[in-house]
Amino acid sequence: MFEFFFKYRPIVFQQGDLVFESPVPIWVLVLGGMVLAGVGVMTYVKGRRGLERRNRIILSALRIVTIAVLVFALSRPMLVIATIVPQQNFLGILIDDSRSMGITDRGDEPRGQFVYDQFGPEGSQLLSALSDRFQLRFFKFSESMNRLGDVSELTFAGARTDLATALDKARLELAAVPLAGLVVVTDGADNGDASLSEAILQLQADGVPVHTIGLGTERFAKDIEISRIEAPRRVLLGSAVAVDLTVNQSGFDRQTVKLVVEDEGRILMTQQVELPSGGEPTTVRVHFNADEIGSRLFKFSIAPADDEVVRENNELETLIRVDDSRKNILYFEGEPRWEIGFLRRAVADDENVRLLVMMRAAENNFRRYGVESPDELEAGFPRTREELFRYDGLILGSVEASFFTPDQLRMIAEFVEVRGGGLLTLGGRWAYAEGGYAGTPVGDALPVVLERPAESEGRFFAELDVRPTPFGLTHPVTQLGPTPEESKDRWSELPALSTLNLIREVKPGATTLLTARAAGVSGDVVVLAYQRYGRGKSISFVVQDAWFWQMHADIPLEDMTHETLWRQMLRWLVDGVPDHVSVVTEADRVSPNTPMTVTAVVTDSGFLHLNGAEVVATITGPSGTSQDVPLEWTVRRDGEYRGVLTPTEQGRHEIQVTSRYNGAVVGTGTSHVEVGDLGAEFYGAEMQADVLKHVAAETGGRFYTPETVETLPEDVSFTESGTSVFEERDLWDMPIVFLLLAATLGAEWIYRRQRGLP
Amino acid sequence: MLSWATIGVGIAIVAPQVVLAPLRGEPAVQDARAEPDRGRAFYFTRVIYTDWYQSQGGRGRFGRGSWSVDWPKADIQFVMGLTHLTNLDAYEEDNLIRFDDPEIRRFPFVYALEVGYMNLTDSEVLGLREYLMAGGFLVIDDFWGLREWYNFEQQMYRVFPEYPIVDIPMDHAVMHAFYEIDEILQVPARGRGINFGRPTWEDPSDTVPRVRGVFDDEGRLIVIINYNTDLGDAWEWAEDPWYPLDKANFAYQLGVNMIVYAMTH
Repeated sequence: MFEFFFKYRPIVFQQGDLVFESPVPIWVLVLGGMVLAGVGVMTYVKGRRGLERRNRIILSALRIVTIAVLVFALSRPMLVIATIVPQQNFLGILIDDSRSMGITDRGDEPRGQFVYDQFGPEGSQLLSALSDRFQLRFFKFSESMNRLGDVSELTFAGARTDLATALDKARLELAAVPLAGLVVVTDGADNGDASLSEAILQLQADGVPVHTIGLGTERFAKDIEISRIEAPRRVLLGSAVAVDLTVNQSGFDRQTVKLVVEDEGRILMTQQVELPSGGEPTTVRVHFNADEIGSRLFKFSIAPADDEVVRENNELETLIRVDDSRKNILYFEGEPRWEIGFLRRAVADDENVRLLVMMRAAENNFRRYGVESPDELEAGFPRTREELFRYDGLILGSVEASFFTPDQLRMIAEFVEVRGGGLLTLGGRWAYAEGGYAGTPVGDALPVVLERPAESEGRFFAELDVRPTPFGLTHPVTQLGPTPEESKDRWSELPALSTLNLIREVKPGATTLLTARAAGVSGDVVVLAYQRYGRGKSISFVVQDAWFWQMHADIPLEDMTHETLWRQMLRWLVDGVPDHVSVVTEADRVSPNTPMTVTAVVTDSGFLHLNGAEVVATITGPSGTSQDVPLEWTVRRDGEYRGVLTPTEQGRHEIQVTSRYNGAVVGTGTSHVEVGDLGAEFYGAEMQADVLKHVAAETGGRFYTPETVETLPEDVSFTESGTSVFEERDLWDMPIVFLLLAATLGAEWIYRRQRGLP
Repeated sequence: MLSWATIGVGIAIVAPQVVLAPLRGEPAVQDARAEPDRGRAFYFTRVIYTDWYQSQGGRGRFGRGSWSVDWPKADIQFVMGLTHLTNLDAYEEDNLIRFDDPEIRRFPFVYALEVGYMNLTDSEVLGLREYLMAGGFLVIDDFWGLREWYNFEQQMYRVFPEYPIVDIPMDHAVMHAFYEIDEILQVPARGRGINFGRPTWEDPSDTVPRVRGVFDDEGRLIVIINYNTDLGDAWEWAEDPWYPLDKANFAYQLGVNMIVYAMTH
């Protein structure tokens, strides 16, 4: 339609520059036109006194438009446009050779069929139109990019799509020839590591337009995908593990599906999941116990339906290291309390947690329970960092802040912030604000806001009908049932506890897991909250009598709620507490031959960050072959060392990092990584039109689909890249010009006839 | 104007009421069981149990039941000592409860004495069993001689047929929970304690003081039995200058140890 009125396609107007090649100066034409228009208007104003004002205005306007169109046509307008010289330029055609091109989501044929149809040996209109204009150079790309002699070389078996690297390499490879542009034939499901923005910047700098042909649909008709997994990398044996899965779906609104969790092929549990409507992603929280030692591969899967477009994206795996280590927790209590005995009993059977209790039974009478040796903390609460930092967790009961020296208070805060330990504070008459912690370093580390108690009010006491927050319903510590609903019901059955500390607010960044209504207090009070503080974690459990959940007459003797709660609480307290060397890989699963960054945080015996150490990572593959890679201090962060490893073998690899200082070993840390096919091509595999449009728009190219690709050869021709000439294209003879003239003259004539004007 | 005769008659009527009031049992007990101050760490809790007299339809030994001996002075006076000797946040008054009252679960430490006359109802047996299995701790005191021992043993057998009563060794943690106790003394009743030269035991059939206990499946000490000894009288009469100081001292020390042990183990 546009071409019918304007003679040329819109791209000609977009790419071309408008010029006027009038035989007489343009100002003469404009002046002449203005004179003519003036005469015409004056004729209506002066010569036809009988005309109404409205008629005079309309007729004058029509006459002015007619004259303006005439002036435009007489000025000989034309577009100057750069056009390639046929066969003088090269065009790079990059074809996606990854697995996602095998997806059949548009009609009955896979995405890759378009490539065979258009660029196959039989030829096509598109190929011949391109060949007429350009020297064509074909490339195939997936995780790497190579020259393509013939489409029969395509396998559509690439494990990844690295679009940025492909663009960059094509640009470099064709840098020596006149390049008219690049054409990328892909679904746009880029999952490479290279930066697409940087590749685009280089293309912009070199003036290489990229035209993209998007294959596939932007939204699958029917598909379920587990797209993301969030799980701890390391847990203690027997701990409750919470894993968050992001499930995307289309075409399965409100349907219930079964999620299966497997530990190295052994089914651990199943869970029913109701998918939301409207194709929105949903987060599913899964709980299970890690009861097998070692580095374990957990698989989460939803059985694919028959009509799903992609079946391979219904499962996702993660590697979790299940430690059989023993964590040390120091519980310091300022007075004899029932919580001591009941807590000790609740975790007595937990072989992965050692609870050392130190109780101030009277002034200068300290009792110790659970010591490893007679001299452990014989002198009382630790007075040095080295003494305190050997523990992984610290529980403070009812003990006033003034019991500690200022240095001990700082030391406790640093235990969390610097050493990365877990701090749990319990309620009591000498805890929180009542214990004078407001304004102290320990008070700063707490997740709760301390309200100074009014002197006149006396002792605060409130019974608490404890309830979980929505987040608490699914947290591993406070989820008391298999599902959030059952957990909620269980919480409603538990008897009320009590507190002597009024806590109504948590600090910004803290998370509340349990709240309660308290008589005489407006709004909810905080019962259990936590926050990250530096490298560690700070938890506040404000009640003073959690033992009542063991003793109450309504709690059956065989009920394990009290034991489970404390056991999970203490494991959570020490979960993720770093050793002297902590090792983190950027992913727990990688493809073979993919470089992988390993980061180690190294501390000395007092858990202070250690720079200048000699740190070496040894990666050992499943066949037993190992390779040493030195890690370098990053300089940006104290104690942080980094290096790149490239595992080549498939299977489980162990990465052991050893740090030495002055020749002596300071510490070692271990991590694992699973090397294998990640199936990345099947996740986020819908056609990414936004990405392809962005690449095209930023580089001066255009985005096409198989339905619109017909115009590609001509569009690509209009470019200043490569060897091009400038063409002049007349506009005076556009049909729209004659139509406008006819329309204005015709309108004037009809108007006069209808009004009976002379 | 009241005449002296009227006053005399009035006194004659009122005096027996005042004197006998404690022997009436239930009303006085109910008054004492007013809601205690809440939120304290420790309540010295005495158990009201059924004795043989009550199970035969009587009002109980000493008019209220054998549970009430030394009450409430011993309880209150012991707590005074306890709060001075330790950091314990203890309720200053006495606190009474029954074995079959669900509220007993609020108090993980209970004390019962004169158990030579104990004759628990079935609901008391069940209440005590579940209380101890849930995590409660029972201290027994002040019963003497084999007849009373056999009675108590029979009552405990009803509660825990599976657990025997055994001697608590001197190296057990309860003997070192706060004070270092290396010898079991016989703590006499006040009358025998201040009478020089007389034996401190009360029944010739068995005269040696013993501290025995009941342990559960996990080896946790759940009942401490003070036999042929009377800690309660020492707590009650510690201020009496004639009461032997070493015995009072021992009674307080063992009492503190039992509580600290119960709260921490």
